[in-house]
Amino acid sequence: MKQPTSLTLRLTLLFSTVATLVLLSFGWIIENSMENHFELGDIKELKLIAQAVKKPLQTLQSEQDLPLLQQRFDDILIGHHHPLLKVINDRGNVLYSSLEFKKSLPDLPNFKSPNQTLVKHWKNGKNHYRIFAEQILTNNATPYTIIIAISTDFHHTFLNNFRFILWLMVISSIVVMSLMSWMAVHYGHRPLRQIINQLGHISSNELSTRLDPETVPSELSDLIRSFNDLLKRLDKAFDRLSHFSDDIAHELRTPVTNLMTQTQVALSRTRSNKEYLEVLYSNMEEFERLSQMIADMLFLAKTDNKINPIEMKDVDLYQEVQSLFDYYEAWAEDNKVSLTVKGKLQLHCNRLMIRRALSNLLSNAIRHTPKGQTVTITLDRINNCVSIIVQNPGEPILSEHLPKLFDRFYRIDPSRQRTSEGTGLGLAITKSIAEAHGGSIHVTSDESKTQFQIIIPI
Amino acid sequence: MKLLIVEDEAKTGNYLKQGLSEAGFVVDLVNNGLDGYHHAMTEPYDLVILDVMLPDLDGWHILKSLREADKTMPVLFLTARDSIEDKVKGLELGADDYLVKPFAFSELLARVRTIIRRGIQIPNDHILSIADLELDLTRHRVIRAQQRIKLTAKEFLLLELLIRHKGEVLPRSLIASQIWDMNFDSDTNVIDVAIRRLRSKIDDNFNPKLIHTIRGMGYMLDISE
Repeated sequence: MKQPTSLTLRLTLLFSTVATLVLLSFGWIIENSMENHFELGDIKELKLIAQAVKKPLQTLQSEQDLPLLQQRFDDILIGHHHPLLKVINDRGNVLYSSLEFKKSLPDLPNFKSPNQTLVKHWKNGKNHYRIFAEQILTNNATPYTIIIAISTDFHHTFLNNFRFILWLMVISSIVVMSLMSWMAVHYGHRPLRQIINQLGHISSNELSTRLDPETVPSELSDLIRSFNDLLKRLDKAFDRLSHFSDDIAHELRTPVTNLMTQTQVALSRTRSNKEYLEVLYSNMEEFERLSQMIADMLFLAKTDNKINPIEMKDVDLYQEVQSLFDYYEAWAEDNKVSLTVKGKLQLHCNRLMIRRALSNLLSNAIRHTPKGQTVTITLDRINNCVSIIVQNPGEPILSEHLPKLFDRFYRIDPSRQRTSEGTGLGLAITKSIAEAHGGSIHVTSDESKTQFQIIIPI
Repeated sequence: MKLLIVEDEAKTGNYLKQGLSEAGFVVDLVNNGLDGYHHAMTEPYDLVILDVMLPDLDGWHILKSLREADKTMPVLFLTARDSIEDKVKGLELGADDYLVKPFAFSELLARVRTIIRRGIQIPNDHILSIADLELDLTRHRVIRAQQRIKLTAKEFLLLELLIRHKGEVLPRSLIASQIWDMNFDSDTNVIDVAIRRLRSKIDDNFNPKLIHTIRGMGYMLDISE
């Protein structure tokens, strides 16, 4: 998949586009109103001239009298910065034309009998004119058309200069604003880069580092919080893993040391057959322990990592408990412990795994129950979950041990490490079986009883 | 009884050969897949013990080729692999049993004997007996020295298992799985308690003692002094 465009580029482009649109429309509005302003001024001027020309023209009796007005027209033109004037009769004959007109606008058509006033822009070569034409009726109802033109070159030069400066400013503003928005975004991302920098420095042995969500902008504090949570989980998992490796090394070292020492001592001189036999038996026990540990650890690894999909069936838990009781009965009787089960329950689960989990809990419970008392297994449904409680009376487990009870190789009494109590993985295996079924395991302990509860959602 | 062991790990192979020879079998050992295949194809064996991971030709291929060539001798797999798919694959290809390393030698021996016995018609006796002990399977009765002995159902099954395997060492794990269907090792001495109880009923007041504890390996029923 293609990586999404960088935030800086996105924001810069966005800001620049907005700035460009705004500035362009401003430029367009200013340019237009400037042009408008000049046009209105021109028209006002042209109308004034037309008004001045109109008065004498209206009194005209006949075309022949027009030369009489010539001097009058010339005077008007001089008073108005030399506009150009033409008077045309309704047949299209030019009755009067100022000198300038012939010189500057020889090609201008005679706007014949326009019905109304007409304002037009006219370009002759490099020169610009604004033209005004109007039909005037004399007092005796003879129509004449007057055409007045004024040069707008001055305005055009001004407007061209103005436009050039305006667009130069608009474009340079766009460039400057884009640059500034890039800088602003870059600056705005500084806390992000600081975080990245901080995170980059967290190595595997600094997983206890936490970032302070108060030192970053509020938008980022949630990110920091979730990152801290992630760090916490990682830290815990990493911690457990490194403890586990330590523990494995330790747990393996002890039997291997025993094996080596025993064998070396035995071999150091000639011994009787009986002595050799003893060494072999003793080795045998250590090997069995090692082999059991390997099998348990493999089972844990497979259950935890869900390497194989587990095969699920409907299992009658009551029946399972009964067959476990059947198995443990004689041993429990020897310990003067009785076993009872309450409730009946069906569960969709892996029979072998559940049997193993229950067996671990049951054998622990029997082992820690005082003589003459009872281990109780209670099967129950709570809401949408199945609850299996294995409960035994006896010495309470100190609360400091409870959370660690399911850790691998955790033993309440370190001095009893290598007694007959198995590999120290039993409860860890039970927990991982519960979790493989989407459930959980909990332990509570008080003066009267210790209780393990497996909860599995149906 | 002639066995073929195909195992590339020299130490394991040699000890298996020694152990099985001492248990009364004639044993051939080869250390690679091709030799294993040729031996199995050309000589009549009562059982082939196959390692899965082998140089040249792995255990599954050997088994497949044997079955395709209509060789029906039983095959027992030894492997360090322990996944259900592997087990299923091995059994689907026609293996008779499957043992995951590390295993107890007594366990292997018990399984080898079980597989070989399968091939032989066991006289369908209703009464199993050893010395002056008699086990009546149809009437669920145990008699020793003319005295009727009362056993629980599980004790009866346990005694039957021991008699059927008389002279063989049965490891605790095998007893747990055969009698109680507990297929994992328990860290308790449940089997020892069960054996002690059985012993108190059939051995304590009688001679000769029949149930023997074989240290480090398991239990055996036999007449011995």
